[in-house]
Amino acid sequence: MADVKITSVTKKFGDVFAVNNFNALIKDGEFVSILGPSGCGKTTMLRMIAGFERATEGEIAIGDQIVSKSDAGIFVPPEKRHIGMVFQSYAVWPHMNVFDNVAYPLKIQKVPADKLKERTEQALDLVHLAEYAARFPNQLSGGQQQRVALARALVAEPGLLLLDEPLSNLDAKLRESMRFEIKELQKKLGITVVYVTHDQAEAMAMSDRIIVMHKGVIQQVDEPIRVYEHPANPIVADFIGLVNFLEGEAAAGQIQFKALGCGIPANVSFEGPARVAVRPEHIRISKTDGYLRGKLVNKFYLGDSTDCRVLVGDTELRVIDRGAAFAEYSDGEDVFLSFGHVMAFPK
Amino acid sequence: MGKKWLPQWDTKWMLILTAVASLVVFVVLPMLYLVYKSFIINGTLDIHHYQTVYSKVVNWNALSNTLKISLYSTILAVVISFPLAWLIGRTDLPWKGFFRTLFVATYMIPPYVGAIAWIQLLNPRVGYVNKFLVENLHLAEAPFNIYSMTGMVWCLTLFYAPFAFITISRAMEKMDPTLEEASRVSGASPLRTLWNVTIPLMYPSILAGGILVFIGVASAFGTPSIVGMPANIEVLTTRIVTYIYMGDTKGIQEATALAVSLMLAANGLLYLSMFGLGKKEYVTIGGKSTRPNLVELGKWKWPAFSIVMGYGAISVFLPIGSVLVTSLIKSMSRPVTWDNLTLATWKAALENTQYTEPLMNSFILAIAAATIATIIGIFIAYLLMKTKAKGRKIPDALATLGGATPGIVIALALIITFSGNFGLNLYSTMTILVVGYIVKYLTMSVRTISASLSQVHPSLEEAALNSGASWLQSLRDIMWPLIRPSVVAGWFLVFMPSFYELTMSIILYGSQTKTIGVLLYELQTYADPQDASVLAVIILLIVLVGNLALRKVSRGQIGI
Repeated sequence: MADVKITSVTKKFGDVFAVNNFNALIKDGEFVSILGPSGCGKTTMLRMIAGFERATEGEIAIGDQIVSKSDAGIFVPPEKRHIGMVFQSYAVWPHMNVFDNVAYPLKIQKVPADKLKERTEQALDLVHLAEYAARFPNQLSGGQQQRVALARALVAEPGLLLLDEPLSNLDAKLRESMRFEIKELQKKLGITVVYVTHDQAEAMAMSDRIIVMHKGVIQQVDEPIRVYEHPANPIVADFIGLVNFLEGEAAAGQIQFKALGCGIPANVSFEGPARVAVRPEHIRISKTDGYLRGKLVNKFYLGDSTDCRVLVGDTELRVIDRGAAFAEYSDGEDVFLSFGHVMAFPK
Repeated sequence: MGKKWLPQWDTKWMLILTAVASLVVFVVLPMLYLVYKSFIINGTLDIHHYQTVYSKVVNWNALSNTLKISLYSTILAVVISFPLAWLIGRTDLPWKGFFRTLFVATYMIPPYVGAIAWIQLLNPRVGYVNKFLVENLHLAEAPFNIYSMTGMVWCLTLFYAPFAFITISRAMEKMDPTLEEASRVSGASPLRTLWNVTIPLMYPSILAGGILVFIGVASAFGTPSIVGMPANIEVLTTRIVTYIYMGDTKGIQEATALAVSLMLAANGLLYLSMFGLGKKEYVTIGGKSTRPNLVELGKWKWPAFSIVMGYGAISVFLPIGSVLVTSLIKSMSRPVTWDNLTLATWKAALENTQYTEPLMNSFILAIAAATIATIIGIFIAYLLMKTKAKGRKIPDALATLGGATPGIVIALALIITFSGNFGLNLYSTMTILVVGYIVKYLTMSVRTISASLSQVHPSLEEAALNSGASWLQSLRDIMWPLIRPSVVAGWFLVFMPSFYELTMSIILYGSQTKTIGVLLYELQTYADPQDASVLAVIILLIVLVGNLALRKVSRGQIGI
């Protein structure tokens, strides 16, 4: 098993910083996701760990092996890094059957035939593909191909598994069940995982910690619940989950909203102009009481919740109600709002 | 609505049917008639022609020479093209863009021009290279003799290898680079990856490219004739032309039998490559477009560069330089110095109506062929890509069939079919040449246009019809602007090979309709290398200009 130590890694394409001063320590056996919108540099970072891109600056160590250190001219090619990797496009070789695909890393290591067969079958068992060993990739569904890729990445028992948006080519239902399958596998094997995705639900569900990236720069490294409830900055708040932004003024124990003509009690650690983020599900709608008074513009029935737009002053707030709001309120009605959890950032 | 619908439907289908009908008359009819004439004697099935033809040793030799030369050239072309395509497509070789353009552009050099150049270089008596080596290494005799089997294979390989290079390069560009990366993380070195993943995945394209080279070489007439005839090496195509030049019925009959043999071999191979391998074409799911991870050549970078550069110099610059110098030289027996260069040959050639007339003819013929092929091509491509008509693939298949049939076979089929037999006597007219070019190169325009039509979503046309446009209006206002670049590109792709066509022209031309290819062939055979070089340079210039225009209109998308 292996930890991953990334120190001051920067990658430039021409004059563009794809990854800028990336620092992270991924512990042995940890499941860490790198999350961010497309073009944020997350795939580039993963490819640097894999050895498909050379870091412009900085150092990467896997276990006790320094695999990349630009100023010392150290660069270990991908085949010498002993990692497993699953690609978005599966990258299952169409000219080999399932068994040969999965056995390939062992074949390269010159594992004796009987051992090779045994370990390959174990790996196939692990991903529930034992009876598909003789099939060719074109006879498999997308989900099955992804399992082949997973078995191939795991068969040589690497200390580190890299996954590059492995589920984004699958349909929604399969994607959800694969999430749990991958997580279960990781727990069972105790392997270190670095998982790249732009899908926050995926990152939330599976990760021990999430690294949120934006424009090549790390915004926050934290547990999923911390990232969601205590985002480090407005960028993270905006990217993860839904959010209403309000301009306010923080002062001892409360925040004043000039535009709304009111204030709310809040536990803030600073004073002065503030950017306040409130998640729609953290706003309570009521007919009788609340800090804010507004008008219900419209509402949409979503099954498990009601999605409301409420106009307060000239600010429109999005409110998600898990109760019976759809039946109880009508468009144009005057309503009261109160905030539960608010996130305030100094401006 | 109902009333308006019907006439629109009519225009559309009448135009498409006209295009298809012209294909039936000019492709299907002549081919069938050729096969018919070869097997049917006096109304009964008789293989007498084949017996006569194959009872002659000279024909057997021609057949075996064709097979040998084609096989050797194919193997060599693949062995050269695969590493080139890999180095250019997958490694950090310097000057990759330049090399790609260079090797792809060789496709546009008429092979017989290459042959003429190599004769100038490796002629045992006066070849530039031979003379240089004899003088500098003090050899007793010339080390190379172009007039040999080796010489033929050499010329044909160099000028047909681009077929393999283009096919393999394209497949390599289309291949998902993560397939190779998956092998690297599995622990395989770059070389091992090349062997275990890249080559097996490229295998269908390598075979397909090889088959294209094989068919091309087996169908070639110019090079085998110019290089092989002086050494008395005959191949099928030169035998067929010799038989046709006999002019009598018997000659035509035996030519027919040989031509059908050649056609069956070429089309059979193509059929194999399309349907036998087509199924094995690996479709891979595209992920996000990662930049392919280039293999770092490290210390091999500059050696590899030198080899590729050396190949480029030998295969392209040396022959082009040779014809250029020969066209400018005052006296062939004196060394190449500034004093020995002159524009006199050029001036005389350009003032000679015996040269300018064929040049004009070729221009007119190629423009006519390209324009008609483009118009037919639009409708066939439309039928193929934008309708659901039953059998919509057949016209496209017919165009492909025409393109895959050796030119010599097409020419012979046209002669025996349209010499008055079906109420149409085109013998020795410009028309029969235009028809020949269209049959051979129509597939170029169909392919280019259908590729771009497939990018036009059907709803775009439906929206136009929905807005009240007639089919022709929607074609003009919606389709045409979107496909115009590829239509123009398709036009050039027919124009250029038609302009310098030799194999069909040598059979189809008449005294008033001589083409530049035929003229060049005559000059070479009558040993006037200087005038031949002037014409060769003119052809190269026109091809170069055409190719630049092609790149411009297609914004670099299509260039050959």
